[in-house]
Amino acid sequence: MAAQTIAEAAILEGRQAQAFPFFGAERRGAPVMAFARIDDRRICDRTQVAEPDMLVVMDASLLDIEPVALGLKKEGCAVVNSPMRPEEIDLGVVARCVSVDATSIALEHLKAPIVNTAILGAMARADAFVSLASIQRAIVNRFGEKLGERAGSINSEAAGAAFERSREGMCRGERKMQRGNAWLPTWQETPPGVALGRWERGGMAVGPGSMRQNMTGTWGTSSPTYTRARCIGCQRCWFICPEGCIRRLEDDSLEFDLRYCKGCGLCAKVCPKEAIAMHRKGAGA
Amino acid sequence: MEQRVNIRSMPQEDHLLSGHGACAGCGVAIAVKNLMRVLGRNTTVYVPASCLLIFGGGMYPHSAFDVPFLYSAFENTGAVISGIKAGYRRQGKDVTVVGIAGDGGTFDIGLQALSGAAERNEDVIYVCVDNEAYMNTGTQRSGSTPFGAWTTTTPVGSRVKGKRSFKKDLMAVVASQDIAYAATLSIAHMNDFVQKVERAKARKGFRFLHIMAPCPSGWKADPSLTYDLARLAVETGMWSLYEVEEGEAHVTYRPKEMLPVGEYLKLQGRFKHMDREDVEALQAWLCRKWRMRYAPSQPPLDRTDDLACDGDGCEGA
Repeated sequence: MAAQTIAEAAILEGRQAQAFPFFGAERRGAPVMAFARIDDRRICDRTQVAEPDMLVVMDASLLDIEPVALGLKKEGCAVVNSPMRPEEIDLGVVARCVSVDATSIALEHLKAPIVNTAILGAMARADAFVSLASIQRAIVNRFGEKLGERAGSINSEAAGAAFERSREGMCRGERKMQRGNAWLPTWQETPPGVALGRWERGGMAVGPGSMRQNMTGTWGTSSPTYTRARCIGCQRCWFICPEGCIRRLEDDSLEFDLRYCKGCGLCAKVCPKEAIAMHRKGAGA
Repeated sequence: MEQRVNIRSMPQEDHLLSGHGACAGCGVAIAVKNLMRVLGRNTTVYVPASCLLIFGGGMYPHSAFDVPFLYSAFENTGAVISGIKAGYRRQGKDVTVVGIAGDGGTFDIGLQALSGAAERNEDVIYVCVDNEAYMNTGTQRSGSTPFGAWTTTTPVGSRVKGKRSFKKDLMAVVASQDIAYAATLSIAHMNDFVQKVERAKARKGFRFLHIMAPCPSGWKADPSLTYDLARLAVETGMWSLYEVEEGEAHVTYRPKEMLPVGEYLKLQGRFKHMDREDVEALQAWLCRKWRMRYAPSQPPLDRTDDLACDGDGCEGA
């Protein structure tokens, strides 16, 4: 939606634009990509963007799992959703950077952690290639038509607030980036019937159970706290947790493995004794 | 008298491991994770095209199942699990073979292979995790999608609002084939869930488990509502819990009274547009189903003691 809206804003200014997502599984919280290309002339290139002038990172936790800034042009600019100042953000390349706490802004304006409109305000701040006014018009058009007039106006306000609260600076480049190890076994290595055993090579596991290396705990915006004293050991949370983050100990008390928690809040919901409470991540323990 | 397990005494070892890529609050993940805990390590899993394939099974070369896992075409679940079982039989191995398909892969695309395997009474377990649309591709209607629901292929416009036909009673279709064991399950009725999986595991012949799995993304509901939606579905009659053994149906949980379906609809964005007329049509359909399911002529509840520690009244059970 953000890519489409920025493209629409450019079109409103009389430019040529295109926007498209990376086709993948449609799941909440999974890393996804979308691209927008803007020009004054007709755009004939329809490929994905590998070397962007502007990189927008909607969730700073992506920096730990993907080499997102790998293709960013030297003179390019990054926009990062983070409560940190640009100087504190390590993108892996030194570049001009705008940071904005879009999650907080979205929660204030939309009452939901949906950051795709707030981040557009920060994009206007980072580079005046499209004005804030056009972006806000595009938001009202796009969201207003789909979700009603009010949705259009609150999303446009979120973009305005993000424009005001964005901070500009240079980010750090200490992080080592390398392309993900895209190892797939060659056909000579694969037994007949394309069966794959439990193997590990170059630090990457494949085969049965190998998804365990996906640390899905970075997806969520909230996480549970557990009060042992209130727990009656009914195990309802253990049953309901879709991730299998909850481990039962000898005495029927529980241990939470937050490395995988996606913050759905079901454990707190099914607890009959309020022994589990959800709180927003990063908002103080 | 078979031994009754519950969520406290069930096996604890996971075979659908953490790190799978389901959405937060995914009902399918809850269902399959607990299904696999009960089925145990000596199990081979087959999954056709579905969310589960992408988030859990077959993002080659990765898998979240730590047991043997196979994948073939969308429509083949019944046929492929029959073949896997035949292979094990030939090798002299006694392995539980389970096929876990979605509602699209069961109600629509996989129905002929399912029906064939049931008719041949293959010694396998077929599980349908029902999230009421093709969610993996972004919410297209299936034979399971309920009346009135928005999907991308039953859009809401000025004249037609959402799906115009009612949910197929797949359980009746499958149970009519006189299979060894068939049951409907809900992730909100936890002990009932575990006991039914346990019973299916213990039987021989073709066994069918139909699990309702709320989908926060496709139903447009908050991820923390998955449990409430599963529970309300049963209380409103959108789902019912029963099992069919040797041709006889037993209700395993009977709601005290029928809640108006509006209680269930109002939590979900996919029903947000429904007008009074449509809600009444759905309610009338549900009332008819309710009378059929819970009619006095039904055999009496044979496991009423399960109810005491299920649903909401489980405190300290």
